Amino acid sequence: MTTRDIGLVALFAAVIVALGAVPAFPLAVLPVPITLQSLGVMLAGLVLGPKRGAAAPLVVIALVAIGLPVLAGGRGGLVVFAGPTAGFLIGWVPAAFVAGLLAMRLDRDGTPALVRALSAVRLNALTRPLARGGTGTVSRLLGLIAAALIGGVVVDYAFGIVWLAFAAKIGLAKAFYGSLAFIPGDIVKAVIAALVTLKVGDAYRLDRR
Amino acid sequence: MIGGIGADGASPLHRLPAGSKLAGLAVIATALFFVDVPAVLAIAAVIGGAAMLSTGRAPARLARDLALPGLAVVLVGLADVLLVDAATALVAVLRLAALLFFAQAVTLTTSTGELADTLERALVPFDRLGLLDAPRVALTLTLAIRFVPLIGAEIAAIREAQAVRGLAGHPVALAVPLIVRILVRAEEIADAIDARGFPPPRGPGILADRAAPSPAVPSEDLPHDHP
Amino acid sequence: MNHTDRSEGGPRPTAASPSTERRQTIVFDAVSVVREGRTVLDGLSLTLTERRIGIVGRNGSGKSTLLKSLIGLVAPTEGTIIVDGRDSITDARAIRAVTGFLFQNPDNQIVFPIVAEDLAFGLKNHGFDRAQTAARVDAALDRLDIRALGRRRIHELSGGEKQLVALAGVLALGPKTVLFDEPTSQLDLHNRNRFRAVLAAMPEQAVVVAHDLELLDDFDRVLVIDAGRIVADDRPSRALALYRERSA
Repeated sequence: MTTRDIGLVALFAAVIVALGAVPAFPLAVLPVPITLQSLGVMLAGLVLGPKRGAAAPLVVIALVAIGLPVLAGGRGGLVVFAGPTAGFLIGWVPAAFVAGLLAMRLDRDGTPALVRALSAVRLNALTRPLARGGTGTVSRLLGLIAAALIGGVVVDYAFGIVWLAFAAKIGLAKAFYGSLAFIPGDIVKAVIAALVTLKVGDAYRLDRR
Repeated sequence: MIGGIGADGASPLHRLPAGSKLAGLAVIATALFFVDVPAVLAIAAVIGGAAMLSTGRAPARLARDLALPGLAVVLVGLADVLLVDAATALVAVLRLAALLFFAQAVTLTTSTGELADTLERALVPFDRLGLLDAPRVALTLTLAIRFVPLIGAEIAAIREAQAVRGLAGHPVALAVPLIVRILVRAEEIADAIDARGFPPPRGPGILADRAAPSPAVPSEDLPHDHP
Repeated sequence: MNHTDRSEGGPRPTAASPSTERRQTIVFDAVSVVREGRTVLDGLSLTLTERRIGIVGRNGSGKSTLLKSLIGLVAPTEGTIIVDGRDSITDARAIRAVTGFLFQNPDNQIVFPIVAEDLAFGLKNHGFDRAQTAARVDAALDRLDIRALGRRRIHELSGGEKQLVALAGVLALGPKTVLFDEPTSQLDLHNRNRFRAVLAAMPEQAVVVAHDLELLDDFDRVLVIDAGRIVADDRPSRALALYRERSA
C-alpha cells in the first residue's frame, strides 16, 4: 500500500462517516428515510476498486469499534455489533469489494449485443443526459449500475439478512421480507453511485485496484 | 463533531485493562448465543444492566444512549411475536438486551485512545506475519478521524454552492465535485506524509543504517508516482 | 532503541537553539522531469548554497515540481539532484530528516486531529523516543509562540493558526533547510505579515516558491522559471523586475 492509497482509503472512510450527517433526502414513494452512508460505500468500491474500496468501510467499522459515533444518527461503540442489524454494517466490506471487482470488469464500452439491445430501448429521464456520450457511455453506466447493485445491494443484504435471521432467530425468509422495505432506496443509491462514478471518471483518470 | 462516547470515571470497570474487557465481552457474546433458557438470559441481562449502572453514568443518559439500538431490539421482538411466538420473542429480546448492556458497559469505561492502542496491539501478530503493516493501519485510522470534519465542511460548502445554482439536495451534484476534490487531495496528503518521513523506521537498527554511505532503499521510500 | 546513534556526524541543533549556522548545498545536474508526456523541468543545472532562495514563475512553470524533486517526492526522468552529498532518490529518507517542506494548504499537511499529536508525527517517523519527542514538540510550539494551541483540535483552528502548526511540525525536527510552497497564498494580510516576521527570524536555510513577490525582497537569490527552464537567476531586485516585465 502506497502513502497515496492510505490517503484515499482514509478520505473515503471520512466521506462515509460525513455522509451520515447529511440530511437524508426523503423519497415520496418510500416509507423509510435514506441515509447516504451506503452511497459512500458503493462509491468507495466503484471509484477505488476492490481492495482499497473494501478498506474504506473497514476503517469505518474499526472507528465504530473504538467507540466513535461515526454511524448515521451518532451511533457508535461495541453496542452496534451487538444489534440485530450489524450484518448490514459488516456487509459493507464485501459489498465494496464486489462492487469494485465488477467495476473493473464492467466499466468499459460493453459487448455490442448488450449495447444494441439497450440502445433500442427508449432512454429514460435518468440516462438521457448521457445519450450524447453515445452507446459506449450508456453501456459503461449500465455496467457500473450492475456493479453497484450486485455489490452494494445483493452482497450487503445477503450479509445483513443472514445475520438478522440468526441474531433474531426469525429464519431467513422472515428476515428477507423484513428487509425488503429498504431495498428501493438502495437501488436508487446504486444508480446515483454509478452516475457519479461515470462523471468523476470524465474529470479524473480512475485507477482501480 | 467526532469524539469518544465515554471513558471519564473511576469505577472498577474503568480500571480494568481494555484488552480484558474486550475479551470478556467476546466470551459473553459467544456464550449468550448458545443459551436458549429465558431465566439464564434474564439473569445475564440483569448483570449486564448492573455493570452498565456501575459506570456512574446517569440513567437518563444511558436511556438516551440505548434509544436507537433499543428500538431495533423492540422491533425484533415485535417481529418474533407476530411471525413466530411469544416465547421466541422473549428469548431474542433478553439475549439482545443483555448483549447491548454489556457492550455499552465496556464502551462507557474505555477511552478511544485505549481502544486504539488495544487495536494497534491486536494488529501486531498480523504485522509480524507480514499480513498488514501496523503503522500504516494506525495512520489510516488517524487520518480518517482527522478528515471527517474537513469533509463535512466541504459537503456543506458544495451544497451551498449548488443551492445557488438551484441544485440543492441533488446527490449527484453533491458527490461528483466531492469525490474529484478527494482524489486530488489524496495526492497532496500523500506528498506531505512522505515529506514528513513516513513510514517510521522498523527496528532499532535503522538509525545506524542511516549513517551508512548508501543504505538500501525500501520500496515505500520511492515517490508514489514513480513509474 | 539506542538514540545515541543519532549523534554520529556531529551534534544536531535542537528546535530551541537556533544559533548554529544551518544550510545545505543543493546541486541539480542536468535534471529533466517528464510527466504524462509533458516536460515539467527541462535540463536544469544549478547549485544553491544561499540562505534565502526565492523561486517565481507563472502557474505550471515547474516551480512546485522543482521543490518536490529536492526531497525525492518527484523523481528526475534524467539527471541527478544531490543535497549535501546525498542523492534525492536513494537517500530520500536522510534528506527528509534535515529538510522540511511546508505545503501550500496546511490542511493537507496536518495528519493528526490534535496539534501536539501532529507535531509528534514527524519526530516519531524519524526515530525520536517519547521523551525527546515531548521536549521538541514543546520547544517548537514555544518558538512560534503557539504553546496555547498544543491541546487544540485542528479543525477548530483558523487558517493562519494551521499554517503555524504545520510550520512547527517542520521545525520540530531541527531541519537545516525548509522548503516553502506558496506559504502565504491562503493567508489574510494580518497572517501574511505575521508569517513574514516568522520567516525573517528563521536561522534555517529557506527555499521559497512564492507569488507574493514582496516576501522575496530581501532574499539572497531569486530564480525565475518558465516552462521548466531558468530564465533569470539574480539578486531579487533584478530578477523580480524581469519577472514583472515578462508577466505584464
